[in-house]
Amino acid sequence: MDSFTAITIAVFLPFILAGILPTVEKLLKDKVGWYASAVAFLSLIMVAQVAPEIIHGETIQGTIEWLPSMGINLSFYADGLSIMFGFIVSGIGVIIMSYSNGYMSKKEDLPRYYQQLLFFMGSMLGMVFSANTIQLFIFWELTSITSFMLIGYWRNRPMSVYGATKSLIITASGGLFMLAGFLVLHAITGTFDIPTILHNESIREALHSHNLFIYALILIFIGAASKSAQGPFYIWLPNAMEAPTPVSAFLHSATMVKAGIYLIARVHPIFSGTEAWFILVSGVGIFTMLLAGFLAFRQTDIKGILAYSTISQLAYLMTMYGYTTHHEPGIGVAAATFHLLNHATFKACLFLVAGIVAHEAATRDITKMGGLRKEMPITFIVATIGALSMAGIPPLNGFLSKEMFYESSVEMGHLLGGPYTILIPALAVLGGVFTFAYSIKFIDGIFLGKRPSKGLPEHIHDPSMVMLAPAIFLAGLIILFGLVPSIPVHNFIEPTVSGILLEPTTLHVKLWHGFTTSLMMTIATFILGILIYTQYDRIAEWQNRFNAMFPWFSVNYYYDGAVNNAKDVTFKFSSRMQPGPVKNYVIAVLLLTLAMFAIPATMLATNFIPQNLNFDVPLYEGLIFLFMIIAALGAALLPKYLPAIISLSGLGYLVALLFIYLQAPDLALTQVLVETLSTIIFLLALVKIPQKFKEHIPTTTLARDLIISVAVSAMIFILLINATQGIVPPFETLSYYFIEKSLALAGGHNIVNVIIVDFRGYDTLGEISVLCLAALGVYNLIHSRGEDE
Amino acid sequence: MTTLITKTITKICLPLVILFSISLLLAGHNNPGGGFIGGVMFASVIALTYVAFGLNYIKSFFNPDWGNWFGFGLLLAALTAFSAIAFSHNFFRSAVEFIHLPFFGEIELVSAGLFDIGVYFVVIGGLLSIFKNVGDDE
Repeated sequence: MDSFTAITIAVFLPFILAGILPTVEKLLKDKVGWYASAVAFLSLIMVAQVAPEIIHGETIQGTIEWLPSMGINLSFYADGLSIMFGFIVSGIGVIIMSYSNGYMSKKEDLPRYYQQLLFFMGSMLGMVFSANTIQLFIFWELTSITSFMLIGYWRNRPMSVYGATKSLIITASGGLFMLAGFLVLHAITGTFDIPTILHNESIREALHSHNLFIYALILIFIGAASKSAQGPFYIWLPNAMEAPTPVSAFLHSATMVKAGIYLIARVHPIFSGTEAWFILVSGVGIFTMLLAGFLAFRQTDIKGILAYSTISQLAYLMTMYGYTTHHEPGIGVAAATFHLLNHATFKACLFLVAGIVAHEAATRDITKMGGLRKEMPITFIVATIGALSMAGIPPLNGFLSKEMFYESSVEMGHLLGGPYTILIPALAVLGGVFTFAYSIKFIDGIFLGKRPSKGLPEHIHDPSMVMLAPAIFLAGLIILFGLVPSIPVHNFIEPTVSGILLEPTTLHVKLWHGFTTSLMMTIATFILGILIYTQYDRIAEWQNRFNAMFPWFSVNYYYDGAVNNAKDVTFKFSSRMQPGPVKNYVIAVLLLTLAMFAIPATMLATNFIPQNLNFDVPLYEGLIFLFMIIAALGAALLPKYLPAIISLSGLGYLVALLFIYLQAPDLALTQVLVETLSTIIFLLALVKIPQKFKEHIPTTTLARDLIISVAVSAMIFILLINATQGIVPPFETLSYYFIEKSLALAGGHNIVNVIIVDFRGYDTLGEISVLCLAALGVYNLIHSRGEDE
Repeated sequence: MTTLITKTITKICLPLVILFSISLLLAGHNNPGGGFIGGVMFASVIALTYVAFGLNYIKSFFNPDWGNWFGFGLLLAALTAFSAIAFSHNFFRSAVEFIHLPFFGEIELVSAGLFDIGVYFVVIGGLLSIFKNVGDDE
């Protein structure tokens, strides 16, 4: 199998196999999670198959034509960056879906859960391998939508719905900014193809001096920041913790929130080496890193701590990718890439632990926990490894990448000179101090100290291997990457960094590299971290007091205000626009149509009635018209409902008869049937209406309605009589084309039917979709109204 | 509405109309008819049965989920439209084939006919699910 095929399969396999998952569920029952993890494993194999080529420094590219006329194709591009993400997404996918077998209760709606996980995984893989900005945008928004559905998995919990909506509003609208950025990029470069821009130096140079450069950068950065919960957009991630914990581990720590980081790394060669890039990416990164690290203190929910820590860790990555100067565009790229991989391991591990603890202790409140180390020894060890790696303790992998972070901060500060020499490393250390403190809190709060006397179940124990093994596996990776850094560095980091910097790179990462500045900074971090940890609870209390005193000093305050206001405004708007009854809307529509016709017609035409009219009407047609007039009068004037309805349907059947005389059998048949069905529906409605007589209508209303009816009828009459001559210039009829081609192209004698199912089949497909939507709409209207009562 | 006359007429009409609706569906490509007309006819006669005998009585022994009908109909129509792509043709390209069978003579097979069957089921399912939902509503 060639590599392009392998990537295509890796992306589309989850979608296809998720499609048949409900059927598989009937066979496997509650073991269906293993099927889902097998699917993820297949994708992992496909990605792994491509990896050797990438490690040798090649890139893979291929295209399936889609909209060639617009330069939009289904095209995939694989370099080190996409392969590393491919591994993280499919690898963590296998782990999460296996773990879910233990976590999700058998009573849950498992097919929906696993289907959405697989859809998400496919979208994520599609995004990281996209070679085309439009395609990237589509997959990007698909991840937002699947994330929305997974956060809202427990549909009847209000907080789930709130969190899901919030994440969708923020990430999906951020995606629209990104799309606008891509369009600006297209306006500058003339292409949607990412590799073309990456590998063409002249395009990139022209881009840097273009005056739209800054707009493209800002728009794309907004997309990345909203997805990765950076800057003011961070608020959606803590609420996303309402999702089932495996989902949080998968989407909201290891993969989806890194999509923004991926985008930054992907466009790094295009935008980096400019002041704007450093100020925007590193600036927002440092700000978020400190803010989120600090705000983690007041969280009492263990998943809340992890959420804020994820925001802060993602901000590390942003900061590092943002370090750039004109001469050295990628100072922090190697450090960032290594930390990205490490963060995926230790954060996913910690989320799995959080899931285990919540599952066993039946609470997620850290203030109600403590001293669980004796009852859950294995979980305790795994959690400690994960948390210490996050805190940056040697010899774990978090230590290595944190050192590299400090190193690149020192270098960046040095290159900028002036006060920045001190400021940037100092801010980096401060971020590390916060991380250290909440990492220790995670261990101390759950496992150390004394077991609280009440609030916890009596018997708490380590879970089954189904849940424990994935966490142990990740803990093993943390130690392995820490002790033997050459494995990840050689296989993942070097190809990725080469892909971003567009030149072959070799890195040397060692556990011990002498007493360097960065080691001093690490030691300072530990000392300050321990000091600040002693004040942990006081800081958290102060934050709570501050929050209570100044509720307006938070982004959430404005988000909620905006969303609630929008609800009120739209409610007021719609109740102003549609106060009822339906009759008024009909009048409005009719009058507007009348105006749309009458104004241009009186301006254009001098004579509304054409000259040479044919008054030679056969007797039977005249009779039909006479009966039609009688039937119409009957429908309008008869005082009882039932005769009026019969009269109305009589009118309809007469129209059908007219169609037969005019040689349109299909039309006549349709008219008869539709008339029959609507009569039946009228009769059905009549059964439910208690009164038999029409209500009395005041004379003024009657006069008004009569005037409107006469005016509209006159309009229709003039319009029809002028259909082939008069006001409208004569036009060539289309029917000859269909008469000629019907048999030749579609093999049918009935032209009407051939037009419906063949020539205009696309229209018909649209129409039947509308019919389906209408049926679903009626179902929802009737059933949702029932629930309210 | 549930008089003896209505009931008797409905009983006689039901099988005839259903057969006629199928024949309209199949004849549609060359003679008046087609999926839409056939579907509306089928839906009308079922609706008439609902009205004549009462929805609850009919539901006690004949209660299909019309939602499935329009779902699968739409799927069939969409698959027919897409299947042309599998043969490297444009979306919605139709194919015609004439085959000879003993006794039946020449029979024309059109891929658009499958699409029409999809339309047929969508129309039946859509109309009747609306009808049943509105009728069920108390």
